Amino acid sequence: MGVVLRYLIKKSKFLKLLSQNALERKKQEPSQDGPNTPTNLSQSLKTNLDLIKGIIGNNYDVVIREFTFERQRQVNAALIYLSGMTDPTIINESILKPLMFESPFTINSAPKLDDVEMIRTTMLTVGEVNKSANIDEIVDSCLSGSTILLVDNCHEALMIMTADWKSRSVDEPKTESVVRGPREGFIESLLTNTTLLRRKIKNSDLTIESMKIGQRTKTSVCIAYIKGLANPLLIEEIKRRLNDIKTDSILESGYIEQFIEDAPFSIFSTVANTEKPDSAAAKILEGRAAILIDGTPFALTVPMLLIESFQSSEDYYSRPYFVSFIRMIRYLAYAISILAPAIYVALTTFHQELIPTPLLFSMASAQEGVPFPALVEAMGMGVVFEILREAGVRLPRPVGQAVSIVGALVIGQSAVTAGLIGAPMVIVVALTAVASFVVPAQTDSGGILRILFVILAGFSGGFGIMIGFIGLLIHLTSLRSFGTPYLSPLAPLSVSDLKDSFIRAPLWAMIARPRTIGWPDPKRQEFRLKPSPPLEEDTQSK
Amino acid sequence: MKGLIKIIVTLLIIIILTLGTTGCWNRRELPALGIVMGVGIDKAEGTDKLEITAQIIKTSELKSSTPEEGGTGSGSSGAGAYWNVKNSGESMFSTVRGFTHRTSRKLYWPHNQIIIFGQSLAEQGIQEYLDFLLRDQETRLDVLMLVAEDKSSDILSVKSHLEKIPSVGISDLMDSQAANSQTSVIRLNQFVTRLMSPTTAPIAPIISVQGKADNKELAVSGTAVFKRDKLIGQMNKEETRGLLWVINEIKSGIIDIKCPDQEGTVSLEIINAKSKITSEIIDHKPYIKIDVKEEGNIGDQSCTASLVSPDAVAAIEEKENEAIKDEIESALSKAKKLNADVFGFGDILHKKHPKEWQEIKDDWDKIFPDLEVEILVEAKLRRSGNLGPPAAPPEKE
Repeated sequence: MGVVLRYLIKKSKFLKLLSQNALERKKQEPSQDGPNTPTNLSQSLKTNLDLIKGIIGNNYDVVIREFTFERQRQVNAALIYLSGMTDPTIINESILKPLMFESPFTINSAPKLDDVEMIRTTMLTVGEVNKSANIDEIVDSCLSGSTILLVDNCHEALMIMTADWKSRSVDEPKTESVVRGPREGFIESLLTNTTLLRRKIKNSDLTIESMKIGQRTKTSVCIAYIKGLANPLLIEEIKRRLNDIKTDSILESGYIEQFIEDAPFSIFSTVANTEKPDSAAAKILEGRAAILIDGTPFALTVPMLLIESFQSSEDYYSRPYFVSFIRMIRYLAYAISILAPAIYVALTTFHQELIPTPLLFSMASAQEGVPFPALVEAMGMGVVFEILREAGVRLPRPVGQAVSIVGALVIGQSAVTAGLIGAPMVIVVALTAVASFVVPAQTDSGGILRILFVILAGFSGGFGIMIGFIGLLIHLTSLRSFGTPYLSPLAPLSVSDLKDSFIRAPLWAMIARPRTIGWPDPKRQEFRLKPSPPLEEDTQSK
Repeated sequence: MKGLIKIIVTLLIIIILTLGTTGCWNRRELPALGIVMGVGIDKAEGTDKLEITAQIIKTSELKSSTPEEGGTGSGSSGAGAYWNVKNSGESMFSTVRGFTHRTSRKLYWPHNQIIIFGQSLAEQGIQEYLDFLLRDQETRLDVLMLVAEDKSSDILSVKSHLEKIPSVGISDLMDSQAANSQTSVIRLNQFVTRLMSPTTAPIAPIISVQGKADNKELAVSGTAVFKRDKLIGQMNKEETRGLLWVINEIKSGIIDIKCPDQEGTVSLEIINAKSKITSEIIDHKPYIKIDVKEEGNIGDQSCTASLVSPDAVAAIEEKENEAIKDEIESALSKAKKLNADVFGFGDILHKKHPKEWQEIKDDWDKIFPDLEVEILVEAKLRRSGNLGPPAAPPEKE
């Protein structure tokens, strides 16, 4: 499939030309406004205001507030801000009030050039205030929620940080719910998200670097990592890939993921995402980097290993024994979700001798009178299931339930009674469907693999499944995520890391960080942390 | 573009090469299979041809009669969930293929449970019919071998009272024989191993129809003894167990002996049995020694004396030794009478004394009837069940 995609993209060279043209046009855009458009502010307040009004003035949410210092009319000033993205209390109490009532300017002392600096240092009781003369920069910061202060006779403006807007409160994540563990999840506000992270890791080495991506959306993107723990080359590579993104919009972390992933033609995702701050913090503490994007509760973490899909943050909060069992169940469920229909098809059409005789009796009698070959049955049921799932996801919850009831009745009951589908096939498809939800991170890859394996099994039985499986393994071993082998610690084998793979060893036994990721600082904790009763000498000495 | 062609060509080469390396495979849906559960091989009446009866499952009947069989009663199920289809022909393979003239589905053999040879055919020799069963890819080597007391098609047409398919009933019947160890359950590969030995005689259980008309039943009634591939005689149940003692095939079973010092019998259950055959050749004359070690429990007693005292246990063990020895001797004398080495003594001598064997192997048929066999039995009584002394009123002094 990847081959076909690659071919299509190579073939459509005009697409490339199109994109080049578009980019060139974009570059030219500013100059199209007229060659006489200045890039810097002038001395005159009126000119400046007209200029900015010309750029963003005819917007519903732009507020331009002109005022004078004290009650004199001589010195004029103006505030420009977006209502809804700013905190009115700050503007009223900390900007307008000191400027209008406590201003040192009089008729005799008109503001001078460096008075902007004076206002910044002495009069504004707001935390973050920057100075700039560049119009683009000023407009950008205004659009991000800053309040712009223009003063007559000054060619510099102040950008006062007043950003504050309505956002969802921190809530339990919908995708990764846990029984035990913190219930807070990331939200759409980047600042809240970095705060949630910072609250987990109170360490000066936690670095959160920021950049803006998207020529039109100017989305804030943060890279969070621990200095000294994350591989510096990894951070460099992430920054390089992020800087290379020249697109006009970043609306969700999925946009970033598709621009920076290692294997865009693979069905396996090489960038992990999480909605939980504790999960992101744990990955950062293993030496990974998190990429937080404004406007989405989904943070990306890189590098991603395949086994991460089978791990859940809850695994580390519960005691190890049952968790290890559940881990194996997850691997089993994934195997079922991609192989069960294929194995069923292979057994019923090629390898009937492998079915135990009593089972063959019931399967043969159930299949009696079914008009379709097993392959068609399996494919059909798979498609019907995907339709039902998609309908259930998109529809509002009460309607979604109705859909699933109708679907369950139609498929589970009527199709079998009508003799369209054998009962064992319904069981297999239902089992597959349930199993595919056990490993949410691999649901999409599982769906494609399932269909592929069913087709292979339908044409060449167990042999086809084997070929497909070998191909899958070859593909998986060839994958890299930011330089880390995707199958590590299984291939290349790292025995010490196996204690957090198919099983989860007790926390006190997991002394080292994963070798392929946390190698700059491998030691996580001290040795001999296993809890035990006090030694006899110790109690005696006390 | 070039790269794409290269990839496609590579893929095609891989697919063609790999598909060519596979074995025999065939795509068949379940409803296209005529699943054979049992097969009977007879001599066609009046001619020299052979007649094969194949028992095929009717999958559609299987479904309808599954849940409410009790409600409809056995009468209404008619022919049942199986179909015995017959075909006759010259050779095994052509006759088997010939079934396609009579059945809508191609016969599917891997789930075949039993092969039954008719008695008249078995007396003529069965080697030529085994070749197909061994050579074909679909047939299995672990299929059970039986000899019918009369015609095998009669056996296959007797309904099983507990199972839907008669062949399954017969195969389950064979499984349950281990509880008595009076039947030599034998599979095709074991039979052929014995057949290929120059001396060892093949054996197979004999199955017969008992009762008449509506009340027919199947029963196992001893062991058929072959000389080379021809049926030459039978062993009854006691003789069969004697044989099984020697060839270490005893799984369980009941031995009845007389109570020591009293009227009545004690039934002893065999828990564990082991035998070892050793051989010697002195002055070109072979000797065989059979060591049997047995452990048993008291399972039942009809006399009232307590049998748990050390003296009584010793007495019982003594009697048990005798009983086991009697069984072995009866088997031995029957085998000598038929001049069929069912125990495989010839093979043991061959393995232990390869040089001396060369001298005597041609005379084995003369040596075997007079072979000196020493039987040593060591029976142990281990437990007495849930009771010690029997539940009886105390004896009056």
